[in-house]
Amino acid sequence: MSRVLILCYGNPLRGDDAFGWRVAERLLECPPDPSIEILCLHQLTPEIMDPLSRSDFAIFIDAAATGDPGAILEHRIDPDPAASAAFTHHATPEALLAGARTLYGRAPEAVMISVAGADFSLGAELSSLVSARLEEAVGAVLRMLPRSAL
Amino acid sequence: MPRQKIVIDPVTRIEGHSKISLHLDEQGRVEEAYFHVTQLRGFEKFCEGRPFYEMPSLMARICGICPVSHLIASAKACDAILAVRIPETAVRLRTVLNLAQIVQSHALSFFYLSSPDLLLGMDSDPALRNIFGVAEAHPEIARDGVRLRQFGQQAIEWLAGKRIHPSWVVPGGVNEPLSAANRDRILAGMPEALAIARRTLDWFKTGMERFREEIRTFANSPTLFMGLVNDKGGLEFYDGKLRFLDAGGHVVQDGVAAADYGEYIGELAHPWTYLKTSYFKPLGYPEGVYRVGPLARLNIIDGCDTPLASQEWAEFRELDRGAVLSSFHYHYARLVEILYALEKIEQLLQAPDILDPNVRALASANQSEGVGVAEAPRGTLMHHYKVDRDGLITWANLIIATGHNNAAMNRGVLQVARHFVQGNKLTEGMLNRVEAVIRAFDPCLSCSTHADGHLALEIDLRAHDGKLLDTLSN
Repeated sequence: MSRVLILCYGNPLRGDDAFGWRVAERLLECPPDPSIEILCLHQLTPEIMDPLSRSDFAIFIDAAATGDPGAILEHRIDPDPAASAAFTHHATPEALLAGARTLYGRAPEAVMISVAGADFSLGAELSSLVSARLEEAVGAVLRMLPRSAL
Repeated sequence: MPRQKIVIDPVTRIEGHSKISLHLDEQGRVEEAYFHVTQLRGFEKFCEGRPFYEMPSLMARICGICPVSHLIASAKACDAILAVRIPETAVRLRTVLNLAQIVQSHALSFFYLSSPDLLLGMDSDPALRNIFGVAEAHPEIARDGVRLRQFGQQAIEWLAGKRIHPSWVVPGGVNEPLSAANRDRILAGMPEALAIARRTLDWFKTGMERFREEIRTFANSPTLFMGLVNDKGGLEFYDGKLRFLDAGGHVVQDGVAAADYGEYIGELAHPWTYLKTSYFKPLGYPEGVYRVGPLARLNIIDGCDTPLASQEWAEFRELDRGAVLSSFHYHYARLVEILYALEKIEQLLQAPDILDPNVRALASANQSEGVGVAEAPRGTLMHHYKVDRDGLITWANLIIATGHNNAAMNRGVLQVARHFVQGNKLTEGMLNRVEAVIRAFDPCLSCSTHADGHLALEIDLRAHDGKLLDTLSN
């Protein structure tokens, strides 16, 4: 059975940065599937390398501070140890994939789904621009999952 | 040569935002050094008017790395306002939670933030000098670091419901008893965690000789030390009384109750930083400068009540005749404390009444004032509240570990900068040592205020007329 790890991350109290968490909430409304793990995180930390190495496919869901507000971007991400240069105690998906491969011998295929945020000020609500794209992002995640999932 | 200034902004691999300024004299020698905390949080003011029982959850938001510490100190201050004695099982559960926090936070500090300096070298390529660089060069050690932090965080989640900002600790106790299943899950991970702690201590001690110069110069000067000790003078993280020790290893003040901290601890503000500086009042400032945290805790105690950590502590104290003075040894002390925390968690979870359902004393406000003191990973943490008749906060004062350590950190930066920095030429390695002395203290400037985007390190060297003489950036 293919194992999928969905990592939804951001600050749920900073407006559109909660996008990943809102997507996770929608996905968790679907019937549970033991092959799929959904994590809600404030930020990516090195501990994520362990569950990443145990998955076959990973989906990172985040809000981006650049781009046209509301625009959804999907792209494949590959392991890249050089992406760790700015590390303090949070990390990039590329660095975590590279670390998973180095430490545990394997890294999953991975994609990033991000939405360009419009408003990152204090608050628990998404902006209307980003909120309007939520279902589209949920749909994108569901299309990427194995047919048996969710 | 005109007077010059070097600025390191931001300081990297610490919790929060700060910068360092080095002022050079006419000969290009470091004359003064300042550690500036550049963020302002304001918790002491904006909690005014809120009900006191909201404080633990609200204050936990100060930090994303050590929310448990604020939760516990705040809840203890609220216990004092309730004027209750909380159930013994609640004390034990809070203690276990606090110790799990010690494990995960110390693991983060040691493995993620400081081990790159220790394993890859202070002068190594800064692009690789991080935990991912350690993973490439020493995968077994990086795996241990990841596993140990996972263990601490997982224990916090199994106890308190979630890893960051849990609300399990409440005024009067905790809001839910521990289940047998969660106790057993924590205990099941203990053998592996203990094995990691022991082998980490072994390799660290073996390699310490390579850092003789850093040991000699990293805030290695006489100060007082402060922390909590239990009624036997032993290592204590949750309760106990405050003890002050001098550099010679002599107790200068003992048995100070939490509520009396104001008689012994003074605070002052500097115009160049948002971080207040604490000092031992009877000696005044700067004679009363003291340090807190792992190094201080291992200096002030008469022993610790777990077998493995007790042996390690005895060996640690052999480093100096009096108190161990070099702040480089914060790293060593941190590892001993991880071992202690793991052993103590195991002891407490094996106590027969740890699953007792009586875990909370209920009351309303019976006192107008409360002080809560506990040992956070970085040192003694104090929360002090005053409330009105309706239980609304009218005044709050927080003294965090980094404030206690502020003066000592500044001294340390000056000492390292004088030794390693020569003004007419900058090298990344020598400036990394200036940062590394701060990292040894593991200051918490609050990690909940990350800036978006890339953390840049840029150091400008300027003449006093503003002319750029040299620059360095990552």
